[in-house]
Amino acid sequence: MPDDHAAARRPTSLNRWLREPLLLFVAAGIVLFAGYSALQPAAAPEEAPDRIELTKDDLRQLAVAWTAQWKRPPTMQEMQGLIDGKVREEILYREALAMGLDRDDTIVKRRLAQKMEFLAEDMSALRDPSTDELKAWFAASGERFALPGRVSFRHLYFSPDRRGSGTVHAATAALRELESSPGASAATGAFGDPFMFQWFYGDRSPKEVADVFGAEFAHRVFALTPGSWQGPIESGLGWHLVWVDSIAPSRVPAFDEVEPLVRSEWLDEQRAAAKETAFEAMRARYDVFVPAASTLDVSGIAAPQETASR
Amino acid sequence: MRFRAALLSTALIGAAFVGESPLAFAQQNPERDVFFGQTHVHTSWSFDAYIFGNTLTGPEEAYKYALGEPIKHPAGYMVQIKSPLDFQAVTDHSEYAGTVRLANDPSSAISKLPIAEKLKVKSKEDIQKIYLWLGTTITKNEPIKELVSPEVAGTVWKQVVAIADKYYQPGKFTTFVAYEWTSTPANRNMHRNIIFLDSKKVPDLPFSSIDSTHPEDLWTWMDGQREAGNELLAISHNANLSDGIMFPIDVDNKGRPIDAAWAQQRILNEPLTEIQQLKGASETHPALSPDDEFAGHEILTYLLGGIDRAPRIHGSYIREAYQNGLAMQETLGHNPYKLGVVGASDSHNTAISYSESNFFGGHGLMDGTAEVRLSGKKEANLDMALLSTSGLAGVWAEENTREAIFAGMQRKETFGTSGVRIKVRLFGGWDFGPDAANDNDWVKTAYAQGVPMGGDLPAMAGKAPTFIVWAVKDPEDGNLDRIQIIKGWTKSGQIFEKVYDVAWSDDRQPDPATGRVPPVGNTVDIANATYANSIGSVELKAVWTDPAFDPALNAFYYARVLQIPTPRWTTIQAHQLGQVPPSNVPLTVQERAWSSPIWYTPSDDARKSATRSVMVAELQQQGAVALDDAQLKELVVGKTLKVRNTATGQAFEILYGTDGRRLITNVDGRQPEAGELGDVLHSGELGAPAFYEIGNGRITTTLGNAPFDVTVYKLADKYVAARSSEFGYANYELEPVAP
Repeated sequence: MPDDHAAARRPTSLNRWLREPLLLFVAAGIVLFAGYSALQPAAAPEEAPDRIELTKDDLRQLAVAWTAQWKRPPTMQEMQGLIDGKVREEILYREALAMGLDRDDTIVKRRLAQKMEFLAEDMSALRDPSTDELKAWFAASGERFALPGRVSFRHLYFSPDRRGSGTVHAATAALRELESSPGASAATGAFGDPFMFQWFYGDRSPKEVADVFGAEFAHRVFALTPGSWQGPIESGLGWHLVWVDSIAPSRVPAFDEVEPLVRSEWLDEQRAAAKETAFEAMRARYDVFVPAASTLDVSGIAAPQETASR
Repeated sequence: MRFRAALLSTALIGAAFVGESPLAFAQQNPERDVFFGQTHVHTSWSFDAYIFGNTLTGPEEAYKYALGEPIKHPAGYMVQIKSPLDFQAVTDHSEYAGTVRLANDPSSAISKLPIAEKLKVKSKEDIQKIYLWLGTTITKNEPIKELVSPEVAGTVWKQVVAIADKYYQPGKFTTFVAYEWTSTPANRNMHRNIIFLDSKKVPDLPFSSIDSTHPEDLWTWMDGQREAGNELLAISHNANLSDGIMFPIDVDNKGRPIDAAWAQQRILNEPLTEIQQLKGASETHPALSPDDEFAGHEILTYLLGGIDRAPRIHGSYIREAYQNGLAMQETLGHNPYKLGVVGASDSHNTAISYSESNFFGGHGLMDGTAEVRLSGKKEANLDMALLSTSGLAGVWAEENTREAIFAGMQRKETFGTSGVRIKVRLFGGWDFGPDAANDNDWVKTAYAQGVPMGGDLPAMAGKAPTFIVWAVKDPEDGNLDRIQIIKGWTKSGQIFEKVYDVAWSDDRQPDPATGRVPPVGNTVDIANATYANSIGSVELKAVWTDPAFDPALNAFYYARVLQIPTPRWTTIQAHQLGQVPPSNVPLTVQERAWSSPIWYTPSDDARKSATRSVMVAELQQQGAVALDDAQLKELVVGKTLKVRNTATGQAFEILYGTDGRRLITNVDGRQPEAGELGDVLHSGELGAPAFYEIGNGRITTTLGNAPFDVTVYKLADKYVAARSSEFGYANYELEPVAP
């Protein structure tokens, strides 16, 4: 191997790799594939199997990659080494293809499959949607932009620390008394026990209620009808009678309120969908025959030895 | 489902308003609210997380998860947080941040570099290989130049900053620009998370452990950032895995003697430390706190990389650092360990599991299923059953904004939990009456007349400090067992601690002799992995005055709140798999919260009134001479010595055998108790007869993996000894016992 071959400059741990001819072929294939598809869309003419041609742009790309690694441009001699290496790589790559070494090779397969995934994603990410397009999409999927509901409520607290197993009964009894009382809407601490936080919660979202009382309680409060004492409802802190003043249900905002968010969500969704669509299109061209997973007995398959750790 | 969808939209919607009128949402509460959040999580952008199998989710998904949106676990299933967070900092490793991910993305510029070939994960075997390769270049400080060049690292960092800004919703959800500085000299964990106040003046590149592995250099860089108007702070973590070097007392990480300047620079830059995370709790260790019956919580004895060596205990735990910090305050004039606490995660999954009932590991595919976690199989020499749930941070702040939460962290008005949402307040003052916590607006009064957690008691003479402590349970978890106040103090360079039960549930009576409240009981059904909230309290509150206050001595006080026992995640998942729970971890756990301490520093006058031991420097001035090896052997080998600890007044008899072992035979005229046996010259260590050696003018005894040196001075016909780690005091009068 010539002394100025770029690969030979890498640390010795790579030398082991280089002694593996198969891996060398594969690496060469990967480099060429990436270089070909991403960097040289139009420059190369139709390839003949026995013709190898590098353009000036190819050479520049070699020089750019080299400079990125070594922080200075290559000398003439180093440049020649890169070119020789590239030609050598190309020849070996084609010989490998001719021998069918790319087939049945998991590394090559996975790498190519991954590349396809990225390509599909890239193509969709390029396009910016029009406002009309966004509006239409928002109209169809507005539910995901819904603003949370808000609730304003008062509550009476019955403390298990004070009342133990009698807590829920005390709450039920208090409710009966309130139901027969004319001034019920103004009931205060005369019923129930002191509460460590607030008596009144105004204009709260489900998260804000859940942070104090627990998620289940928040869920139940949002289901109550305003205008009467109801319960007892259990929270993570004890039992409560609840008077809801008002509930503003979850609402979908106007498009103008959330346009930037809609745009960003649209792009995210398109990216994901394009990947799937591209795959579905490819999938449709194949007939796939596999036995059901359940038909295989995996219990007898031994795991490989664990890799030694430091 | 509608409810969840609503939560989700709350999260999504705020982003749209960023940059318009952010403060319109914020409402200031002068009595401060508690905000729960996370200061330590990794995504696929961390080189190790990617290699553990977290290849898909980045900082965006980390914020989405914190806001309540379900995301994909690296093992392929969906995970969702039970209660969304109020704030989060994503802390990917600064070393090679994002580069492994980008090397595997053929559309990125990095993947075109020749070096990218070495970073591509093509098989399961590559995972460990690349991890070890990158990890070794960091620990050996031989970074891969292509990957730390500004063009590569700067691009990733810019995205980190932009994403943090994108998800910041002032008043609703706070994000911080952050990263982890990952210094691991010789497998000893010295890691810090760096949190920036805002994104406006962040540097072009973070300071990584590739720039320096010494925390001293990190602080100097942070000082420079602050001078340039870029406010920031560091949170150290896993002191328990530091092998004794997280909280040094003699020499710093560069081997220089610790002085006041070092102490000042450290505490200025590092106000906080993590008290619990996935890799265990760092509060204290049973060997350091033999009288603390709850000290054994989630102890993890391990060194990063899984090397087979028991880590040093001294220097690895927060409570001891608090104690030593007091002694340093007294002798140096500055306390480098005046730290507040947070609980945190260190998950490498982007997603975080906080709850015993929903534990999904923290290291990608290495602990991604219950079967693997309970298999007993070790990864990097660590049995995954030993992992804890993630911890959680509580910060008291006026509003949910970067400014308010960052200020709360800086003034250490913070607490850490083992993952549960216990809310805890602690105030200290001189004028709180017994009813100080009874009013509806007691918090207002407490702020007006006292200082909150993280603060300093003002100087005062003639009375003992009083503390108001209050805790409310997590509405989604177990009831509370008790609140304790942990007091630490120092005298003549020696350190002391005491745990007081101050509020507890049910009708329990403290033991009249010890003052200890008996156990709360246990409702856990191991076979079914359930518990009942039929014991314990919803709310606990106490006004407590220190019954043994000495105004001449430096002291700290912090609160620890314990839940009733509940099943540990290992017990729950063993039940789900129909297995017997693993035997190397407890079946139950008492989840808890720890407040940051309140400190007391005596005035100069009060200090002068203290009786204290003589210092070595004073002995030398009086003409005392240190014994050489021959004189030491003559004095101790084969002899019994009477030792009086002049700081405590305790008297010991120590037999130094001719076989190289020494034994404490008598403490204050009685047989020594278990906690007193392993001691060099005063109590505090567990152990049996210990080996000693004489050399270099010292008697050296090794306890808990740490050597303690004793130097003996002769002054006229008297012998006075000084022990290492006692800050220059000579606390022991020796007298040979006539045979």
